[in-house]
This record gives sequence, structure tokens and C-alpha cells, in this order.
Amino acid sequence: MPEQLSITLTVNGRTHTKDVAARTSLADFLRDQLHLTGTHLGCEHGVCGACTVTVDGRTVRSCLMLAVQADGREVTTIEGLKDPQGAWHPVQKAFFEHFAIQCGFCTPGFFATAIELLGSHPDPTEAQIREYLSGNICRCSGYQAIVEAVQAAAAALREQATQGHAPRERALHDHERG
Amino acid sequence: MSGTRFVNERMVGTSVLPNEAIPLVEGEGRFLNDISMAGMYHVAFLRSQHAHARLLKVDVSEARALPGVIHVLTGADLLGQVEPFKSMPNRFSGGQSTQHWLAVEKVRFCGEAICAVVAESRALAEDAIERIEVDYDPLPVVTNARAGERDGSPLVHDTCPNNYLIKREYQNGDVDGAFAAAHLVVKRRFQLGRKQAMCMEGRGCVAAWRDGSFKLSMWMSHQLPYVVRHYLARHLGLGETDIRVVAPQTGGGFGQKASIYPEEFVCAYLALQLRRPVKWVEDRLENMVASTHAREHDIEVELAFDAEGRILALQSDIWTDVGAYSTYLWSAGMEPLQTGGLMPGPYQVKALRYVTRGVATNKTPVGPYRAVGRPSASAALELLLDQAAAQLGIDPVEIRRRNIIPQSQMPFRNANNLVHDNVGYLPCLDMAVSKSGYRALRAEQREMLAKGKLRGIGIVCFAELTGLGTSTAVGPGTLLQPGRDAVTLRIETTGTLTLAAALPSQGQRIATAMRQVAADELGMRIDDIACLTNDTGMAPYGFGTFASRTAVFGSGAVIQAAGELRRRILDVAAHLMQVPAEELMLVDSVVETIDRTKSLPLRQLAERSFFSAKDIPSEINKGFEVTAFYDPKHGSFAAGAHVVVVDVDEETGGVEIVRYVAAEDVGRLINPAVVEGQIIGGIAQGVGEALLEQLVYDENGQPRTVTLADYLVPSALEVPHVELHHANTPSGALGGFKGCGEGSIIGALAGISCAVADALRQRGGDIFQFPATPERVLRGLGVALDEAV
Amino acid sequence: MKAPGFDYRAPRRLAEATAILQDAGPDGRVLAGGQSLMPMMNMRIVAPQILVDINRIEDLARLEVDGGTLRVGALVRHVDILNSPLVAAGWPLMREATTYVAHPAIRNRGTTCGSVAHNDPAAEHPSVLLTLGGSVVIASAGGRREVQAHDFLQGIMTTALEPGEMVVELRYPAARPGTGWAFVEFARRLGDFALGGAAALLTMRHGVCEEARLTLVGMGEGPVRVLAAEELLTGQRIDAAGARDLFAAAARLAMGSVEPTEDVHAGSGYRRHLAGVMTRRALNTALARSRGEHHA
Repeated sequence: MPEQLSITLTVNGRTHTKDVAARTSLADFLRDQLHLTGTHLGCEHGVCGACTVTVDGRTVRSCLMLAVQADGREVTTIEGLKDPQGAWHPVQKAFFEHFAIQCGFCTPGFFATAIELLGSHPDPTEAQIREYLSGNICRCSGYQAIVEAVQAAAAALREQATQGHAPRERALHDHERG
Repeated sequence: MSGTRFVNERMVGTSVLPNEAIPLVEGEGRFLNDISMAGMYHVAFLRSQHAHARLLKVDVSEARALPGVIHVLTGADLLGQVEPFKSMPNRFSGGQSTQHWLAVEKVRFCGEAICAVVAESRALAEDAIERIEVDYDPLPVVTNARAGERDGSPLVHDTCPNNYLIKREYQNGDVDGAFAAAHLVVKRRFQLGRKQAMCMEGRGCVAAWRDGSFKLSMWMSHQLPYVVRHYLARHLGLGETDIRVVAPQTGGGFGQKASIYPEEFVCAYLALQLRRPVKWVEDRLENMVASTHAREHDIEVELAFDAEGRILALQSDIWTDVGAYSTYLWSAGMEPLQTGGLMPGPYQVKALRYVTRGVATNKTPVGPYRAVGRPSASAALELLLDQAAAQLGIDPVEIRRRNIIPQSQMPFRNANNLVHDNVGYLPCLDMAVSKSGYRALRAEQREMLAKGKLRGIGIVCFAELTGLGTSTAVGPGTLLQPGRDAVTLRIETTGTLTLAAALPSQGQRIATAMRQVAADELGMRIDDIACLTNDTGMAPYGFGTFASRTAVFGSGAVIQAAGELRRRILDVAAHLMQVPAEELMLVDSVVETIDRTKSLPLRQLAERSFFSAKDIPSEINKGFEVTAFYDPKHGSFAAGAHVVVVDVDEETGGVEIVRYVAAEDVGRLINPAVVEGQIIGGIAQGVGEALLEQLVYDENGQPRTVTLADYLVPSALEVPHVELHHANTPSGALGGFKGCGEGSIIGALAGISCAVADALRQRGGDIFQFPATPERVLRGLGVALDEAV
Repeated sequence: MKAPGFDYRAPRRLAEATAILQDAGPDGRVLAGGQSLMPMMNMRIVAPQILVDINRIEDLARLEVDGGTLRVGALVRHVDILNSPLVAAGWPLMREATTYVAHPAIRNRGTTCGSVAHNDPAAEHPSVLLTLGGSVVIASAGGRREVQAHDFLQGIMTTALEPGEMVVELRYPAARPGTGWAFVEFARRLGDFALGGAAALLTMRHGVCEEARLTLVGMGEGPVRVLAAEELLTGQRIDAAGARDLFAAAARLAMGSVEPTEDVHAGSGYRRHLAGVMTRRALNTALARSRGEHHA
């Protein structure tokens, strides 16, 4: 077996110390060693965007980053988007309610990218949304529902901001209906 | 029941939120690659680097010796052990191909699997592949359909003279007479490149030895689990009851996951041999060459018109480059036959002739992909209609109006022998014209031209045959004629309903749609209904999800099964409530008397029927499980008309879609938001087909587009906002439903192609090859690009 | 698509990195942003035996102005360039070029130095460095050397970098007052490598062009300076009426200066044509900006 390196990193708020082979990508590490299979590999050469996760507040292609490079970093994946009460992030909620998910394979990457966009552009135009998301490929939806969902999520986040705190509206079981 | 249907019409037609998407929202969808089993090995394939070569030596000794490598399987190891894929005989002329699961003696396309390596991890398996030594003796290659059919061309298969995997000549009506008497004859060539579905998730499988009563369990990213089971049994020499096939959460299909491929079958064989679970996940580099490609048409099409612009006859000559093998299951006939046979589309054609060929080449095999054949057929015809309109001096809308099949003449049998009924071609055209403000668009186009800006408008109509039953072939000429699918409805002990069908979803929200139909048909709350669509261990027999069939088949079977199930429920209720069944109805999962004075919740009824069965005579308590098959016979035509506006940059050849209006007839809508997602998603793939996506090969048969950086899938910037309008006419199928998964890509390729050609025509130019790359656009404008400076 | 195995080193000091690189020789490879290297490794196109990850060397993340020169360290990411007020104010050509680089998640990792060291013929940053007359600071165990852009960029994915060496910094001199800039490119999708593009600088004084710089991108070789066009423009009075003919002449010179290679997206003839189109567009925009007009 090749040499194993020990790394310590925080993923979705939880700290892990693991031995990892140097050649293991962050994506494979998250999926195979932390069993966080919500991060999907669509091309493994950085084009499709499905594997996009957030590292220290910035989106990265987890297929192009080694797990060892995440040593000491904070990683957020799709599994870590809910708030502590278990309510969905407004981006998750908006994608669901706007039918912006079809096969769902690209969805994790879109979430990460959309959340980064809304962090710097609270009220993006349609053109800004399309440009920011243009590095994430969706083969099913034609993007229209995704654009609408990001607009709706932006509005929800702005409303939260004006209310001064972040009450993730309605509990999860609301979504379980219908 | 006495003629009365107590149905609460509430769910169908509503955009019910799909609870099946909740795992996907939370990152808990279980896709194929997310499945792991104790002791599971990983498989990787060594693939041919040559397009056509004799295999002189395959030396796996060094690979076998690598630590962590369990096994290396070669084609020779499989000889005599399993039955190779012999293409489906086709009743038209053309030879047959035999595809070994792992190449034996010869390789016929770059990417063909030669060896399978089993190792403790995928990375180790890939390490081992680099240590396999293969000696190739290169053979002359065929890379083009027209060259490949010539006498003296190298042969891909010795069994296929002129490299024909299929050739069909069809004639109906006096075509020669019509052309001789025509007021106007127009002709053009249309070429569409090779592309592929590019599902975001590739193919893959986990094959497990001994899983309960099954010898083999296959989790497989696939559209047709039951069909896979049948062929696994046949080729591995097992019984169908020995095998369970499950399609887990699937990351797109679009037809690419509807064929039978060697890799999964090799994995099944390995699982049986090694008695261990094995996993293979196709990576993107493999997917680019090992999963079926699509299209690659070269069409010469000719129309004869009378003086009023009415079509007298249509004839076409079609070459399809179908790749190295006749795609297993569907045959090489899919693209060639549907391109020829469905070319008349929504137009009245009195006389039709076509000669269509599927020519074998040393490229990846061509298989089914969204709207097989029709996009090219439609684009060729629509471009030619515009050409004729220009020559006749009539507007593109008018020439279509004069030729479209009107509802007043339906049922209408066209020259391709297809019967059009319950479809609104003209309403779609009218709606597209009015919603787009077509006249104003033309005026704007002229104003822009005066300012030196080139704008083009495409307006096209299309027909899409969906939900094909036993009377109309999916693959004309092939032996495989799926036409019946079943649904089982079962009331569980708590009064909830399980709906089981072999109609797996690749993102179409089939479960939600089926639950909606069942809720209405039975009178149940949708939350009380669960839907299983992906498991041959649980679902009744069905062919699966392809060819825009699932909504039609599934709904029809649900409606039929629900009638019987409701009858059984009300009979039991009548006994328990001491009220005649005729006076009962099921509403919101509660049995009520018509006057609403008495009620019995379904939950109580179910519990009593199961646990207190002694209280109910068994001739009344027949069991709350009903399976029904549905066969929609001829299928239903869906329709659409698209208006596309493009701006062409005359300096760069860049094309930008600035407006997209679609009017669609997809029958009665089950879930409008889901339907809109299907239609707009189809348009997006059409944008790629028309402008971006092309798999390019060099003259040696080497693929030149091998990554997603070379193969251009449209992003959010290239796909326009689509203004979508519904002009729905209910179909003749049960429930009035039609399929909606494929049609829009037809309109998109045709509409964008016509818009680009319309722009170029203003400068005296034209375009015959698609996708319309910037270079082709400039050449179409007559820009000299080859002169030395 | 799993990368082959390698020996991984993540030094915290530059001296350590260069020592490892010296020992490794041709077997060593620097990992910075990894947005070009990692795909090639996943595809097994390259298989370095020793991978020197420089991401822990904090000194290399500096982006600063020193005596009118912009210094871009080896860990400065594309996103840092886009977010930097210093770059926006003094090196707008660089900022504009960076807007064409890939997509957000790639820009968050990919580095300017890495792009220059990789020298993909269609990449934006080598051409910017060449147009601005910048230089490359190279470190090795033996010390440092500074190489001018035109000496560093040697051809398709080829540079003056020797085994054991690494790029640690790029230096960009400031443009003179009155300089208009433009970076334009045409790609089949935004963020893709361009079919062709051009970078232009026009330093105008009282309507006369004092200095012109023109570089073509994506013509199959490395970035191409069009010296003939620069000579043509320098010293000319350029007014709105005259610009048209003058820039057309420059475009012809640009077309004549390249021998583009064909690829799956376009042929040689198309790319040469595009060289002319991009030249005209870049010069027009640069001229307008030299007058304080801002058109995109």
C-alpha cells in the first residue's frame, strides 16, 4: 500500500482525523472515507462542476484538490447545508420548490456555487446568475428552473437579513408532504 | 360499478411537489457509485487505443502480479463461457454484427473493452491497466458512412457487405409522377454531427453474488431493469428468477442507458466467478468512447410542390454512421429507420420515398438518444420548407399552414402509414405565431438588417410519436416490440397504497406523476401513496423508461388497476358499513356514503380486511392487490411549434439565441412543472445539438473530443430563457396523456437551424452542416477563410 | 480516472521547496492551484513522482505594488486578481483578461503564476504578461533569476523553466498615463479556452499614439506579439475617422503574423480571420478607453 498521511480537517462542522493516500482526491476522500456520498463525480477533470464543495468559504472542485491539501481546512458539502435545527438552506428549499432538480446528480455543485454567488451578490440579475453558474453543467433542466430557484433563494435570504437573524422558515416535515 | 366514477380530480394537472426529490436536496440520493458492499472489488477496463486492429498479443502477467489485483479477465477467458452479443436480426437488408464482451482477435473502435481488471480499489485497477501489454496490428479504418458503403471499402465486419448493418428502401405513392408534374422541386443536403447523451452520471453497476434467493443481484444505472434481467439470464445461462436488477437513483439516461453493453455483463460474470460483489463505475473518459453515441446523419432531401405550395411528394437519401456494432437490443436500425420513416412529421405527404442506410464504421456504436432520428429528419425538412417558401414567395408560416395535417381531417393516415389523431398541430403553430409576435419579429429583423445587424427567425412544427403500444414499432423492423407494461396497486395494512411498476426514473419524477394519477383514480390522499419503480424484485413486468412512454403506459395501467381496486375496496366497505356499494365513494382516503352521513377511513377498512378477515366473506374480501397491463396500441402524437430568434455576429460567426418561444401539445398534463422541465430540458439539449456538441474523429478513427473541455455541453449562458405555452389536445390513450420527454429537442434543432439559415439567407448565404459552429457560419456567409494572407 | 501514486511534499518554506525540487530534478512537479495539473494527473497524462505542494508557503500569497510594479506571488489566485482594487486601478488589462478565465470554483484555486508557467497557448495570462512587458521571477536551490516574459514564454506549453526551478512571482510594470487597454476573446462558451483573442494597449498623447502593444491569444502557439502592427500604430495620429483604416491595416498585419493550428473547434483559416477581428475590436476599445470612454 502507498504511504498514508494523517490529516485533520473539519467537515460540516465535525472534525475528523484520518489516514489518507496522497493521491486520493478530496472528492474520493469525502465519499469513500467519510461516507459523504452527496458529493458527486461527473468528470474528474474539473469541467462539469458536480463535485463542487466549499473549502474555507470558497467553492472548489473537489476532484482537483487532494485530500491532503484539505488538512486543517473547513469543508462544507451538501450534507452540511441544513441549519442546526435541521431546516433546509434557502437555496435547498428554493431548488425543491421550483422543480430545479431533475436527476439530481449535478445538484450538490449547483448548491455550493449558488450559495457562494448569493454571498457576494444578494440580489443578482438573471444574467449574473447564469454567468456565475456557467461552470456547472446540468443536462436535464435547461437551467430555467435553476435560475428561478436562485432568484427565489436570493429573495428569501434578503428577507432573513432584514429580519436580523436567520429563521429557516418551516420545519422539514412541511416538505415531506406532497 | 354502476357507471359512476367517483374520482376526485385534484392531483392531475397540479404541480405537486415531488417528495422523491427530497433525498437529492439533502445529498442522500443513493446513486450507483454510492452503493458499497462488504468485500466489494472494483473493476476497470483496458480499452483499445486503435480504431481497427488485430490483437496479436494481450499480456496481462505484469498486471496480475501487482499487489491488490485480484483478477484480470480477457476476451479469450470468456470464449465459450458466455454468449456474445449478436445483433438483433432486422427484417430489412443488412448484415449482422457479433460483439464479444471483451474483444477477441480484433478491435473495431477506440474505446472497445479488451480486458477487465479486478482490484481492491479503482485506483489500483487503473495502475494495473497501465501494466497490460497489447500488441496491435492496425487495419484500414472506415470513418465515414458514404465512403464505407462504397465497393472496395475496408470492412468493419466480414458479415456486412458494403458495411451495411441495415439498408431499407421505402416507397408509398407515385413519387416519380409527383416530381415530374411538380410546379417546384427543391432539394438540399443536411448533415448533423455525432453527439452523445452526456448524462451527468455515467453508466455503472454493482454485481453481487447470492443475495437472498437470487444468485445475482445487479444494481445498475439503467432505464430498463427487466430487459436487463432477461438478457443477463439469456447470456449467462441463468434463470430470470435467479436474478434481481435494481436501478438506483440514476443521473440521467436520455436513451444512453437503454441499451445492453458489455461492461455490466462482464461484471455480472465476474461476480458469479469470484463470488464477491464487484463494482464498475464508468468514468467520463470511458463514457466519451464506451457509451453509445447518437445521430451522425447525412441526408439529401427533395420536395415536390404544386403551385400553391402544397407538398406533392417527399424523397430522401439517408446515410447514418452507426459505428462499429449494431447496438445490442435496439439494432443499428434505430437512427436510419426513424430518420427516414418519420420525416413527414406533421405535414401531409401524399407520396414518400426514402433510402436509408446504417453503415458500420470504426467508431463507437450509435444507440438510442432522445428523439432518435426525428431531430435530423425534421431539421432537414424544415430547412427545405423555408427554402421552398423563399422560392415561392410565401412566408415560412404560410407554407407550413398549407401543409400541416388539420384536425378536421383526423384520423389521418400519412404516406409513412402513421395515423395522426387527437393532436393539434395547427393550434400549436397559431399559438407560437401569436405569442411570439411573429409579424413584429419580421419587422424588427428588417430594421436590424438596415442597421447592418444580422438576425434570423426560425419557425418550425414537429410531431412526436409517444407512448407506442403493440401496434406501432419503437424500432421499425427490429424484433423487439415492447408494447405492454404493468402496474401493481396494493393497499397495505395501514391503508396506504404501494404503487409498483418497472418504470424507473432518471429525473422525470415518474413516482410523483404516478402517485398523482393513482390519487385521483382511487380517491386517496397523495401522501398515502408510495411508488416503487426500479426493482425487478418488487415491480410487475414492464419494459422501462424510454421513447416518451412512461406517463402513457404507467397512467393507463394505474387507471385500469385502480378501477378494479376501488371496486374491491368499496365491496368490502359495503359489507362493513352495511350500505350498498353503489352508494359509497372513496374521497381523500376515506370511504363515505354519497350523502356523507357515514364514513370509514381506508386505514380502518384495510386493517379489518387483513386482521379481521373472518368478519368478511372471502368472496367479497378478494385482497387489495391488483395488477393491470396497459397497451396504448398505436400511441399518441404529441406536437409543438417553436419560434427561435438568433443574432449572428458576421465577424466571428457566433450565434446567440435571443428569443425562444415554444408552443406544445403534450396532451393532458399530469404535473405541469415537471412537464415544463422536460420540455425546456429537451430544448437545452437541442441547443447543444444545433450549435455546440460534436464528437470529432480523425481520419484514423481516433476520437479527438475526449474530455468535457472539448465536447461542449451547453451551460446556463447558452441556453436561452424559454417562453413556454401549452396548446394541449388530450390523446386517445387512457386519461388523455401523451409523452413529453423527447419532442422539444426536435423543435430545438429544427428551429435553431432554420433561424441560423434564415439569418444567412439575408446575405445570400446558407448552411448545411450542423452544429452551426462559428466557422461553418462564416463559411455559410461566404467569408473566405482559406486564403493565405 | 484516479491519479497515479506519487510522493507528496508540502513544505512551509520556499527554501525547502526548492531543495526538494533540486533533488527531484525532472521527476518533481510543483502543485499550486492544480487546475491544470490535477486533470492531467487524473487522466494519467502526467505522472510526477514527487509532487511539491507549495500551498503552505504563505509568503507566496502576496499581491502587492512595489515601486509602481505589481508583484503577483505564486499563490495568488485568479479570484484575488479579480477582487483586488490595486489591480483594478493600475492593471485593468489584467483584470479584464481574468474575467475570461474559466469559472468561479476554478478561479478560486487556479493561480496566475501557474497559468503562466503552464503556458497553454489559449490561456489569457501569458499574453497579458507579454503585453505589459512583465517578467517572471524564478527560484531554485541555487537562488533567484528574473526572466523577461518574451524570454520565458517559449512555445506551446514550453517555458524557460528548468528542472529544479519554480515560478515564485510575476512582475507587471504599470502602464503610462493615457494608456487605453482591452482584452477581448471569442470562445464557444464563456470560460472556455478561446478560439482566439487579443490584448491591446494604446498609449495616446494629444491624439498621437506614443506606444502600442498588441498580442494575440489562442493562435496555436504561445501568445504572439504583433510587432509589425505595433510599429504601424506607433507615432500615428489616430482620430475616429482614421482609426478604421489604420486598425484594419493592423488587423491584416495580425493575420499575417500567425500560422494557427487547427483543432476540433475551428480550422487554421478561421483562427487567422479571428486574429484580425479580435485585433480590430481590441484596438477600438483600447482607443476609446485612452480617451476615458468606457465601452465594454
